[in-house]
Amino acid sequence: MATKNKTTNTLTVLVIDDDMERAESFRAALAGSPYVVKHLAHTSASLLREVENTEPDIILIDIESPNRDTIESLSTISEFNPKPIVMFSEKDQPDLMRDSIKAGVSAYVSGETNPDRAKFILDVAVARFNEFQGLKAELTDAKRKLQSRKWVDQAKALLIEKQGMSEQQAYSAIRKMAMDNGQKMEDVAKNLISMMQLIGGGK
Amino acid sequence: MSSQTHLEQTQLDIGIVALTDCAPLVMAKHLGYFEQWGLDVSLHVQYSWATVRDRLNAGLLDAAQVLAPMPIASSLGLNGPKCDVINAFNLSMNGNGVTLSTALMDKVRELNNGITPPLPLEAKWLKRVIDQSGEVLKIASVYPYSCHFYQLRDWLISGDITPNKDVELIIIPPTSMTTALQNNDIDGFCVGTPWNAQAVRGGIGETVTTSSDIWQEAPEKVLAVTKEWQETNPNTYLALLAAVQQACEWLESVANRFETAIILQQYLDAPVDVIAPSLIGSCITAKGAPPRDIPGYNQFFRSNTNQPIVEQGMFLIEKMKGAGQLGDWTDTQLNEVVNNVYRNDLYESMLALRNS
Repeated sequence: MATKNKTTNTLTVLVIDDDMERAESFRAALAGSPYVVKHLAHTSASLLREVENTEPDIILIDIESPNRDTIESLSTISEFNPKPIVMFSEKDQPDLMRDSIKAGVSAYVSGETNPDRAKFILDVAVARFNEFQGLKAELTDAKRKLQSRKWVDQAKALLIEKQGMSEQQAYSAIRKMAMDNGQKMEDVAKNLISMMQLIGGGK
Repeated sequence: MSSQTHLEQTQLDIGIVALTDCAPLVMAKHLGYFEQWGLDVSLHVQYSWATVRDRLNAGLLDAAQVLAPMPIASSLGLNGPKCDVINAFNLSMNGNGVTLSTALMDKVRELNNGITPPLPLEAKWLKRVIDQSGEVLKIASVYPYSCHFYQLRDWLISGDITPNKDVELIIIPPTSMTTALQNNDIDGFCVGTPWNAQAVRGGIGETVTTSSDIWQEAPEKVLAVTKEWQETNPNTYLALLAAVQQACEWLESVANRFETAIILQQYLDAPVDVIAPSLIGSCITAKGAPPRDIPGYNQFFRSNTNQPIVEQGMFLIEKMKGAGQLGDWTDTQLNEVVNNVYRNDLYESMLALRNS
């Protein structure tokens, strides 16, 4: 496993990530570069075998993955000996380590890999992971807002139908209840819906 | 009750891992002990020891529940950049168990007239299975620098089994153990509570021995901070230790252990019937079989559990050497590192603060 018959320009980067989209986005960012990106959605027990078969120069793994500990064992109980990328960066790049941890990506590098190239890969990964975190947060936020509006609309419709209110009256009633109880309108709406479903509503 | 001294920092982020022995930190929060000491603590569940280490060393966590050998490993720079990490408080003792697949135990029973040999199982039974079948068994533990790993090795060696020759040792995260056992990817594992009980309840494995049988009274998890953090926040650190000490004392009563099991559910994502047994000193062994009485299965206070003692660190150093994890360190260097990690002086300062 120690010697590799690869041209010096090609490096294999193994991405271990359950998030297919994020892995794909990372791969796309390196398209046309001399880096070969392989993706593995992880399973615990077969992970070691698959990593050993791939013989990656660099491993990128989601920092929330429990399988990081399995990857770490490679350096103590296997011939294949990838080191955490932070080994390189402890002197000259403490910020890179912090940035990568914050972005949610951890990296391991095999001993023969040039640190500058490893740094380049990690920089790309940090950028992609950050971008993805941003996108995810935006998406969650948008979904939540949409969902919250749905609840309020549904509660309004019920008040209009069962209590004969106008749309404006229904909206004001929900808002007043929310303010009086210090609750979110969404929560008031949810309570109203389950309550009216329970008692069947009716004038 | 609360400290009169100035706290350098009041909002703390503390890392915990989904295991029964996160209880002192979880209960200190739930019982309001942190608050009493002027601390506003957020607990963050972490999914790997590697990530706990990285976040602690990078200052993204103020303190963390870690495996007892980890502060030594970090201070020596094993498996990562060197970072001085200290331990002035043992969170727990014992708590690990070895569970073997039902299929493997059936092979053991075949060699013993169809009967399960007495528990704790002697590892020589595995040796007989290995000798007879010629197969290499695969047994998992949770981290290279863990008591689990060393206890598993010691247990196997006691049965004349050579680790990494007769048995392949691999690393799998605790929460994946049961699945791996069920899929026949492994023949057994050594893991912390409550994950052995989960395998037994699921009917896929039998817990044959515990860390209390292999080692006696061994510190399992410790409360770690970086040396730098402690030096910047000396008063906050003592307040933190005092609150956790109070929780450990509270955990001594059996009645409180039940309440703990209920509260731990949300942190461990496991049901009470899996979490509660070890907390009340019971090791469930196999479906339909009687449980074993292991009084110190999860020990949080009695027998001077919390005091960090240099000898405990030197004991771990010996185990690390035995596993071939230590390279060219001289005994003097190792001794110095362990003395820097184990901070009994700070533990004593916390006791003095509580009594003041």
